[in-house]
Order: sequence, then structure tokens, then C-alpha cells
Amino acid sequence: MKNVAQKMFTSGGRAKVWRTFVVLLVITLAATVINLGAEFNKGADWVKTRTGIPVPHVIVIPFHLGLDLLGGTQLTYQADVSAIPVADRTSAVEGVRDVIERRVNAFGVAEPNIQTNYSGGKPFVLVELAGVKDAEKAIKMIGETPLLEFKEKSPDARKLTKEEEAQIKKYNTEAEKKVKVVMEKIKKGENIANLTATYSDDADSKAKGGDIGWVTSDNNPTVAGIAAKLAVGKTSDAVKFTKGYEIVKLDEKKAKTDPFNNQPEREVKASHLLICFKDVEGCDSGLTKDEARSKIEKIKKEATIKNFSELVKKNSTEPGARNSGGSLGWFSAGKMVAEFEKAVFAGKKGEIIGPIETQFGYHLIYKEDERQISEFKVRHLFIKTMSATDIVGEQTDWKNTELTGKNLKSAVVTTNQVDMTPQVSLEFDEQGAKLFADVTGRNINKQVAIFLDGYSISSPTVNEKIPNGKAVINGRFSAQEAKVLAQRLNAGALPVPINLVNQQLVGATLGAKSVQDSVKAGLIGFVLVAVFMLLFYRLPGLLAVIALMIYVSFSLAIFKLGWISLITLFMINAGQVTITLAGMAGFIMSIGVAVDANILIFARMREEMANGRPFSLAIEEGFRRAWPSIRDSNSMTLLTCIILMMTTAGVVKGFAVTLFIGVVVSMFTAIFVTRTLLKLIPENILSKWSFLISSSKK
Amino acid sequence: MTNYSIIQKRSIWLGASLALFVMAVAAIILWQFKLGIDFTGGSLLEVNFKGPRPTVTEVQAKFTANNIGDLGSLVIQPIGEQGIALRFQDSTELKHRAVLKALNDLALAKSTDKKVTDLIEEVRFDSVGPSIGQELKSKAMSAVFWVFIGILFYITYSFRKVSKPVASWKYGLAALVALGHDAIITLGVFAYLGHFKGMEINTPFVAAILTVIGYSVHDTIVVFDRVRENLPKSHDDFEGTVNLSLNQTLGRSLSTSFTVLLTLLAILFWGGDSIKPFALALTIGIAIGTYSSIFVASPLLVVWEKWGKK
Repeated sequence: MKNVAQKMFTSGGRAKVWRTFVVLLVITLAATVINLGAEFNKGADWVKTRTGIPVPHVIVIPFHLGLDLLGGTQLTYQADVSAIPVADRTSAVEGVRDVIERRVNAFGVAEPNIQTNYSGGKPFVLVELAGVKDAEKAIKMIGETPLLEFKEKSPDARKLTKEEEAQIKKYNTEAEKKVKVVMEKIKKGENIANLTATYSDDADSKAKGGDIGWVTSDNNPTVAGIAAKLAVGKTSDAVKFTKGYEIVKLDEKKAKTDPFNNQPEREVKASHLLICFKDVEGCDSGLTKDEARSKIEKIKKEATIKNFSELVKKNSTEPGARNSGGSLGWFSAGKMVAEFEKAVFAGKKGEIIGPIETQFGYHLIYKEDERQISEFKVRHLFIKTMSATDIVGEQTDWKNTELTGKNLKSAVVTTNQVDMTPQVSLEFDEQGAKLFADVTGRNINKQVAIFLDGYSISSPTVNEKIPNGKAVINGRFSAQEAKVLAQRLNAGALPVPINLVNQQLVGATLGAKSVQDSVKAGLIGFVLVAVFMLLFYRLPGLLAVIALMIYVSFSLAIFKLGWISLITLFMINAGQVTITLAGMAGFIMSIGVAVDANILIFARMREEMANGRPFSLAIEEGFRRAWPSIRDSNSMTLLTCIILMMTTAGVVKGFAVTLFIGVVVSMFTAIFVTRTLLKLIPENILSKWSFLISSSKK
Repeated sequence: MTNYSIIQKRSIWLGASLALFVMAVAAIILWQFKLGIDFTGGSLLEVNFKGPRPTVTEVQAKFTANNIGDLGSLVIQPIGEQGIALRFQDSTELKHRAVLKALNDLALAKSTDKKVTDLIEEVRFDSVGPSIGQELKSKAMSAVFWVFIGILFYITYSFRKVSKPVASWKYGLAALVALGHDAIITLGVFAYLGHFKGMEINTPFVAAILTVIGYSVHDTIVVFDRVRENLPKSHDDFEGTVNLSLNQTLGRSLSTSFTVLLTLLAILFWGGDSIKPFALALTIGIAIGTYSSIFVASPLLVVWEKWGKK
């Protein structure tokens, strides 16, 4: 050690080389500790127990593995922003991202990673989910996210002409006649299956005797709602809905089972009492978490089945609880926050469960009833009625306002005080309230419309500016429809339509196997290259192998720290490098590329020695003359990588990133590190044993 | 140092390359490529059966009999001991679930232990909507375009000082011809593999071709670099100088490509099935690239110079 120190601090060329060497050594050690953080900490513990010397622990930095190595799913949704003004598009896409995130989080999917991404000018939302079963659930959840738009009349909108109004009226009278005819035939004992071909307006099922397979209250609330009241084999009356009349015949009925474990799926009827606390967004109870907890525990002591609804009306902090009594109606698995769902499904019928903590606060839950979810095999006959939208269309008539589904805070089922029909009350967030005030303010005595999933469901005329951020959707719902809608809206509403365009799923075992295989291939590749270098280039080959090890260590450290550390020498932890399967291939390939520079240099060195130059000069010349080739050729690979990084995404980008980092780091290690090492060896040794470098037969 | 007469025998090399090139073009025109789902849109599902695996015909029968509906050009392929891969055109989540359930039912029918109900493991599932496929295609095209343009400009700039007896842009063009040769022959091999072995072309394949192009130009540049260095001090004619340069750099050209091929072969043999087509494209491309930088690019340069003299 003393020897090295002496060499370092004496002046002259060699001292400089020694200093460089020590700096390199320190950086390499640092990189190794970063790579082997966990092992280092184990070693530190071992030293401490053995000797009592406290060795500090280091922070263990993990690799960021892509989903193809980790196992999991990536969903790509395209957001359709064509209907909204250009200026609002970015915020709408962010809104989509937030809603999806809220929704996926609320249903307890593990660590989702959700990002927006623009490609070819089109906005996409990427949802990355670790785990496979979660993905199925998430797709379902995201698929059920309602699209809520608020529209106003566009200036060039047209009203219905008299003739058109007459046409609608005529059509609907005809429809009613048709309904009567059909119902008479059914009463005479005619089978609905024989009538659909002539009378049904459902193009998909009319040729099949009205058969629409199995439905549940989830995927077809209208038909399932009618079917639920029927005995098997019976046919219902004609029931009027927004879009027309439904006549349903129930063929079969069964309990719905989960396709994966064949367990029957259940649904639960419950009501709940919520006490929120300060940390919860939008909570104005003013209670701290502890206060909320003791309050709800006190309520629990006095709660019985009989007084539960009263207690809710008096105490619950949920908006709308005063009207609803906290009733949630029937709901199936996957509709509520994970903690809530777990508790309510585990509880007994008639039990008061809780307090349960969720992201909304503390809940007391009264489990009113439980039943298996029924699936109905039905035939239906649909007779369409006409409305104004059928003639004028949706697009030309209405235009989007700045207010969208992302501004929605909560939705509850309430009852219209005038005609006692069920309706859904909306409450907007702060920004939404302002926007709603603007929209209503400029549309006094004009219509505004609320569009759900692309259909106008309510288009009231504005009487006055509404400043309190509250709106009502009154779309002539059935109680069941209103309830499902409120549930869907509460989990977040989308500002623009989305479309699942790409799904990638990798099972966890495949991911783990890919990692194993790649590491194995990498080690074998490294050994093969090392053996080749040693056999072919001897001492310099050995140095190149050492440089290659340093290269691997540096590159891995940079993968862990992020690519910005490439510029700042490990100083900043930023520019995350996600390692994918193709990325690992890129890195392994870069091991082979990394020695290229060394080969160019060594070949040149041998050539110079063959030309009779002394060793030190041959080494210098080798490095100097090989440089232009190294620079030119590596520039080409870097150029390719940059173009790939700019034009592609996902798999290919991962490959380009690791190859790029590999090439940059290898230029440094192959040239700088090898040169320093070579210079450390005293010249007289090299002269004496020239076979170490070359077998030149002069 | 031995001085092989490579350039002098250029008609052999260029002839062989031309033959290969023509065959590759013929293969591409005749068989075309088997495009992967990321270009055509569609779904690729791979599952492992925990119990006995149903045969391909059983699966086929299940899907034609079952009321899943039209999946669109269904292809079923056994994978390894327990696995099966399905490819179909429909890319909706609903069909995905229905197919999984149908496969599980098949497995259930074969199973003796009726208590275990979950008999398949989903190894992977990729689905690509049709519009995305179109977009990827155009993106891949623009990447190829820009890589070629970039290389042409870089080489022309790099060789701007050597303009006699051959203009610097001709070095660039000779290198590009060699690269086109590499790319077309690799594509030809994959047209063959696609037709006879069912190997598909996907986005990673495009990346592999571009990487081959970016890397193969290495060797060509090393040779041209040496020509650039030798030209001013050489007493030989252009042909002799190029041949000398080629011989001087032969060892390192072979060595550099060899080390990369070593790592690629390691990936090809030990890196797992998922990455195999990608590694294969890189391996073939770089092997051909090494050949072309020695036997195509430099001879072309000389041919060009001779023509100029006539």
C-alpha cells in the first residue's frame, strides 16, 4: 500500500497513471457495491458479529424490471379526443389517466403503473399491472367506467321540424300497436321465439328467436331486471324503457359461478354509515382520524338493525346519506373498495360489521341480505320507440363543454320530489362547480345535456345559473338502472371515450424463466468472449477481460441508477432504465461489442510492433490510430439506437436503451481502462516477455 | 503477413452475393413474410395445461363446436410438453376470457381429480387492435428510412477528405449497397423460415434488422478507414491498396464479429424461447454483414473505380 501511495504522489507520467488507476478502482468499487447492495449488507453484518467493527449498511437499489420479466399485464387504451377542443385535450387525457388510476386503485389491484403516452399525435393511456388475475379484474373495472360528458347546443344545431315531430309521433303510435298485437298473440299461447323474426327490432337476436344467451343484472340490467320477476318458462308483459319496449321470456335460470374456481358468485345487500376524517379528500367532518374512530365506535355500541337507518341519517358524512339512509342496494364482488368488500362478504346476514377503514374513512356496515347471483337464459322481443336523437343525431346537435366526467365528485340515487321517480344526483368537485356555473350561466333558457356512454340521457332546460356544483340526471330510470349508474359513477367517470387497443400478458413463471435464461446466456456469452480474448490476445486480452468486467459492473450500476447517472458519474438517481427481455439481449450483445474496441487497438498494436516500434510507442500508436475506426463504427450503432428510441416504444425501445448505454460505457472502459492497466505494467517486463503480447515472427 | 488476393477474385464473391441476393428477393416475392400480430392485429395466447394436454384436433373441435363465435383464422400449435399456443384474429377481452374458459373445460373433461378446477396456466397473452398494427408498420418504415439516411450522411461526412481516386460519397454508397445486401438476404431467410417453419416477423425483428445494419457498417468502416490511411502513402494502384487494406484489417474484422456472434449464439441457445427469433435475426444478419463488409463493399469500390476510368 505504501508503495502505491509513493507512486501516486511522485510527479511524472507514471504517477499520473497510478492516480488514474486509484480513481478507477474507487469508481469500480462503488459500482460493485451498488450492484451487490444486499450482499454487501450481509457481509457488513458478518464483519460486525465477528469483529465488532460497525460497518455501515448501504441502500439496496433494485433493477427496474419490465413486465415481460416480472410477469404481469400491460393494457394500452387509446383516448378519443376528437370531440373536444384542442386546448382541452391534454387535460382530458390526464383526466382519463386519473380516473383509471382511481378506479384501479380502489379495487385493490397491486401497484398499478399508469402513464399517458403520445404516439403519432394520438393519446394513449398505458396501464401496467403486476400480476395476471388482477388484470382480468382491472379490464372489467376499466371497461365499466362510465363516460360522462356535458354538452350544450352548438350554435348551428337545428330543431325538429313539424313533419319530423309528426313522424316520431306516428312511429311511436305504430310501435304501441305492434306491442298490443304481440302481447295478444303471446296471451293466446304463441311462443315468443316465433314472433321475433317478424316483430323484434333487435337486429342481433331477431333471427335467433330472440335468444341473447345468458344475462346478469350487471351486463344487461334492463332484461335481467324483468327476468328476475319471472318463473322459468314464463313470458313477461311489455315493459317500457327509454329506448323502447321489452318483452322477455325466461328459458333457464342458474346461479352464476366464477369460471376460475367454479364457486358460485354471490351478491350482497347492505347499507353503511360513513365517518370520514380530515386526511380524506373532500371530507368536511372536521374530525381527526382518532376522533372519527372513537365516534364510530360509540355509534356501533348503540346500533341495532332497527335504528341503523336513523343513525345513518343523523351521523353519516356521506353526501346524500340523509336521503338514502346509507343503502347501497345489491352489489356483487368487485364493485366496492377492497377492504369494504372483504368485510361485507365475510360477514353474516343481519350483522352490523365494523368499523372498517377504507380510503373514504370509517364504515359501519349493516349486511341486510345475501344471495347468489342469478344468470338468466332469456329470449327477448324489443320494439323500438323513436326520439329526437334518432332524427337529428348526437354529433351535430350538441358540442362538448369544458365540464367532463373527471370533475365528478360523487353520485347518489335520490327521488324526484315531483313525480317520485328515481334519479341520480351529481356533485362536482371545486373546479367542476365553477365550470358548471359557467356552462349554466351562458345557457339560460337553453338546453344542456348530460351524455352517458355516448347517449344523451338527460337534457333539461336551464332556468338559472347554478353555482353550487350540483346537478341531477333524470333519465326515466328504473330503480335498478339508477342504482347501477350511481355505483358506476362513484368509481369515477371518463371525460372522453377510451378503447382497449393492445393487451400484453406474461405469466409470472414465464417471466422468471426469461430472467433465468437471460442471466445464463449472459454468463455463457461472457465466458466465451473472455476465453477467446485470452487465447487470442494474451496479456492485453486479460486486461481487456478485466476492462470487460468493469464494463459489466458499470453498466449494471447505471441500469440501477438510471441513465442520467451516465452523465453525472453515479451522482443522480434519475432517468429510469426499465430492463425488458429484449433489453437483456441488448446488454448481452453489447458484451460482444464492448471488446471490439480492444480488438481494434490490440491488432493495431501488434502491427506497430511488427513494424519494429518499441513497446511503449507501439501501445500509444495502437490506441491513437485505432481511435477513428472505433469512433466511426460506434457512432453508427449509437445512431441506430437513437433512431429506435425515438420512433418506437416498449420492447424495441428497451433493447435500444440498454444497447446505447452499453456502447457508451464500453467506449470508456475499452479505451481508458485498458490503456491505464497496460501502462501500469513496467515496460521492461513487456520487453522481456514479448510473447505476452504478440507471437510476431519478425 | 500473408496477402490474400481477395479483390482480384472479386467476380467470384460478387457473383455469389448476387446469386444469394436474387434468391432472397425471389423468396420474399414468392413466399412473402408471415406477419406477427403486432402488424396484423389479433391475439396470441399461450397456456400450459397442468394435467394431460388435449390434442390439437380436440382443441380445434372444441372451438368449432362451442358457441364462442368466430375467432377468425384460428391457428393452434403445441408448445413443449404441456403448452399450447393459439393465434386468432379477434382481439377483444370477451373472446379472450371465453377461449380461456373453453380450454379449462377441455382440461376438466380430461382430468380425473374433480376437486381441482383450475387446470390451465396462462403463460402469455398478446392482443393488438388493428389500428395499432397499421401504426407500427409505418413507424418501422420511418425508422428504417432514417437509419439509412443517417448512415449515408455519416459515411459521406466521415470520408469527405478522401476524394481521390474515388469520391467520398461513393464510399458511402458502396457501404449502403453492402448493407442493403445484408438486410435483403436476412429478410429472404425469414421469408423462407416463415413459409416452412411458421416463423413470424414482428417489431423486435425490425429492430434486429436495423441493429444489424448499424453494426455491420462497423466492419465496412474499419476497412474503408484503412484505405483512407493507406492511399496517400501507397505506391500500388487503387485495387492493390484496397486489397492490402483489406488484408491488414481482415483479422480484426473477423475477431470483432466473432465475439458478437459468440454472445448472440449464447442467447440463441440458452436465452429461452421468447427471444430466439430476435437472436436468430441478429445472428444471421451479423454473419452476413461480416461477409459483405469484406467480400462486397470493398470489391464494389474497386469495380466503381475501374468503371470511372473507362
